Amino acid sequence: MTAQGQPLYEARQISKSYGSVAALIDVSFALYPGEVVGLVGDNGAGKSTLVKVLSGVHAPDSGELFLDGVRRHWKSPHEAIQAGVETLYQDAGLAPHLTIGSNVFLGREKLRPGLLGRLGFLAQQEMEREALADLERVGIAVPPSNRTVSELSGGQRQAVAIGRAVSWARKVILLDEPTNHLGARQSVEVLSVIKAARDKGLGVVFISHTLPHVLEVTNRIVVLRLGRVVRDAPTAEFDAESLLGTITGLIDGA
Amino acid sequence: MSSVTDKPAKPASTAVAASPGRLRSLLTNQQFLLLVALAALVAYFTSRDSVFISSGEVATMLATFSELILMAVGETYVIITGGIDLSVGATAGFAGVVAAFAMRDLLAGHSPEALVLTVGTVICAAVGVGIGLVNAILMNWARLVPFVATLITLGAATGMSLVLTGGAPIGADAAAINLAAARIGPLPYLALIVLVIVAVCWVYLHLSRYGRYTFAIGSNAFAARAAGINVRRHTTSVYVLSGLLAGLTGMVFYMQLGSGAPSSGNGAELPAIAAVVIGGVSLFGGMGRLTGTILGALILTVVQSGLIIANVSPNYSQVAIAICIAIAASLQALRPQNRSQT
Amino acid sequence: MGHRLTTSRLGRRSVAVLAVASVGVLAACSSSSSGSSTSSSTSPSAKGSSGKITIAFNMGAEADPFFIAMNVGAAAEAKKLGVNLIWQGDPSVYSPATQIPIADQLLAEHPSALVIAPTDPAALQPVVNQALAQGIPVVNVDTHVNDISKVLSFITGNNQQGGAVAADAMAKAMHYQSGHSYQVVVGMSSPTTTTNVARLAGFKAEIAKKYPGIKIMSVAYSESVAATANANVNNWLTKYPNLKGIFAIDGTNATGAAAALQAHGLVGKIALVGYDAYATNVALLQQHVFAALIAQQPTLEGQMAIADIVKYLRSGKSKAGIQHLVTLPNIVLTPSTPASVLAKYTYPTA
Repeated sequence: MTAQGQPLYEARQISKSYGSVAALIDVSFALYPGEVVGLVGDNGAGKSTLVKVLSGVHAPDSGELFLDGVRRHWKSPHEAIQAGVETLYQDAGLAPHLTIGSNVFLGREKLRPGLLGRLGFLAQQEMEREALADLERVGIAVPPSNRTVSELSGGQRQAVAIGRAVSWARKVILLDEPTNHLGARQSVEVLSVIKAARDKGLGVVFISHTLPHVLEVTNRIVVLRLGRVVRDAPTAEFDAESLLGTITGLIDGA
Repeated sequence: MSSVTDKPAKPASTAVAASPGRLRSLLTNQQFLLLVALAALVAYFTSRDSVFISSGEVATMLATFSELILMAVGETYVIITGGIDLSVGATAGFAGVVAAFAMRDLLAGHSPEALVLTVGTVICAAVGVGIGLVNAILMNWARLVPFVATLITLGAATGMSLVLTGGAPIGADAAAINLAAARIGPLPYLALIVLVIVAVCWVYLHLSRYGRYTFAIGSNAFAARAAGINVRRHTTSVYVLSGLLAGLTGMVFYMQLGSGAPSSGNGAELPAIAAVVIGGVSLFGGMGRLTGTILGALILTVVQSGLIIANVSPNYSQVAIAICIAIAASLQALRPQNRSQT
Repeated sequence: MGHRLTTSRLGRRSVAVLAVASVGVLAACSSSSSGSSTSSSTSPSAKGSSGKITIAFNMGAEADPFFIAMNVGAAAEAKKLGVNLIWQGDPSVYSPATQIPIADQLLAEHPSALVIAPTDPAALQPVVNQALAQGIPVVNVDTHVNDISKVLSFITGNNQQGGAVAADAMAKAMHYQSGHSYQVVVGMSSPTTTTNVARLAGFKAEIAKKYPGIKIMSVAYSESVAATANANVNNWLTKYPNLKGIFAIDGTNATGAAAALQAHGLVGKIALVGYDAYATNVALLQQHVFAALIAQQPTLEGQMAIADIVKYLRSGKSKAGIQHLVTLPNIVLTPSTPASVLAKYTYPTA
């Protein structure tokens, strides 16, 4: 199921600097439908920067992005979302003062029918109801959704964020540390949500420091070190020890 | 999907604490407490002199309230985005002065009062929108924080009002004063118009997509942007709205005074911000109700008028307002949202 | 003294605010404010220009109507006597924090003389001392520094007397008769504004002396905001249905009180005595909204300051014929004052 035909989402020779710091150097990377690619690396390796380039938050200094073979220049995250690329950002994806339903529909609000809708009025109850249904559909149980996100535990917040990304995604999901702060049981839930998304034919990019999760859920692993890709190989070629060695640089990338 | 739907995924919901007791939730409900405080103040001042609830005095207070509430409403939108607008008072004063020059000339040419006031209102609105745009430009392009950007326009607008007028009021429009004083029972027509504007702003803040984006940006600007909201455009529109409402306040000043007085907006941003803070709107953004701001502005108005009706030394006025703010701020710290966020 | 439009409110803000305010104004109307009113006579190298006398004139807030009127008098006199005048103060802020740097700047240009209206008697003393040390004679107008012994002359208005004549004007407008009782109120800007305090003292002293039936029911502060003054009077009108008189002690209070009387249809029924002869106030006086207006004489103050300096410099620095302390009375204007007199005392606006 991997590496066949045209990539769903592809980055070619992406470079990005913040001032004098080169965060990404000539990074190339491809994601195929129905595939989960693990993106790993030490702190500062460039993982989050790559996600921000792929999701349209940052424009790369150089390099090209292709979605379904079409060259893309994201001017804003909005364009990437419109094109079917959903993103879960590390610790920053939700508006804590808004309800669960408002968060799930943030930026895609449902309006009331008729004149009220044209005046910009929200169909709030409908959104709350549908949000709950959407989250349940992707396998995430949440408390009644008229609560604000700030009233949820860290794990529940993460669940809502993932549920939102998965329920809206049409092509690609970028998940930055989705199992951070989660207990063992919640992590298992999240991993099963990822597998379900993969089985639907979506492409998933999975970023994590928790290597057993990476080894469990991914088909392929891309290792970043100091802004460069040092290894890109099927998950089967790694075990916990060799993956850690590659990340830290004790083992040279192939 | 099939592998997930049959999964009993319930554990997440069990971690939520039991909902707070009814009494505690009532005691930490800012709106409820403000209403109690307002009722207590009205009862106290009425006991000092029953004329406090006469229709004439209520009309006076509604007129004072009209001078404050529009600025406070704009400030509420701005503060909910996590910003601050220090320029509202200066904008009101400047807009009123600029419009007064035009209205004075029109009156000198014997234009009908309705036309004069319409032109004045349009000018006030335009000046307000213009200053709001300048604020947004200073923030979005010159990269200044809202405090500094709006401090600059505060200074510029205050200074220009004085330079243009030489410090003296412009115009002497007795017809405008009479229109502003006209009322049904205790409700001046001018206050009625202001209240309609406030109601529209309430509905848009709490029930529309525009309001939703306003809250989302103040709650987490990155999340808002990541969700596809054009944060820069939206904050620009919020500062323009604040400027517009401040500009219209300039017209309210003109109507009540019959002239454009450069001093009328001096320091008026302070009660506007105070009304918002007393109303329980978080200065960190993302949280608050316009109802709170309205109650906050009512409390400030009642205290200002009440101290005169009760013949209390005006020196206590500042102290009374400071106490209101202190109580409101401590209540905010008690709120469940704020505690669970830590 | 001027009514200090900007003093009590802006004066209490932090220096940072004041600084930014000035920067904003200067940026917005760069060259139009400072020295514009006398730009033709402003000389870059003041003293060096062929021995012609150059007088630096420095005050708190240039945009205060009081100083604008003073500028008119000073500029006319300077033109008449053929001397240069540099007129400079902060555009809108009445504060030593903004006045001192401007005064220092003026002294650095080595003028022939300095006329200064200090915003603070202690804070501006060093500026005056420095001028005297440089051999530059100094005149104080409106307000003075602590030590005026070496100052050539001090020309000011008499606010205490102004308060007293306000009481007389109010009693006359109320048709005061002994044995009757009259409720009045006083609108001030703040409890500390010195001009307000002097006027109130004069008002009270005159009442105590001549009008025992007049009772001051309440005093309230406007914080120099006309809208607040207006609200204060509106509240009073409910509180005191038998109110007979209002003393609006400065310009903002006059504006607010006049509007309140019009809104309540009480024009002519309550004796409103206001301060400062702005053009709008004079128009309202003619419509009988004000029973009387008390006018200061800023134009004359400016004119006399220039005249004194020029006389001193041209007489080989002789103080003969120069009065050290000049106190100009405040003038009472009423609806029956002839139009020509009203015109004379109406503050000119350059």
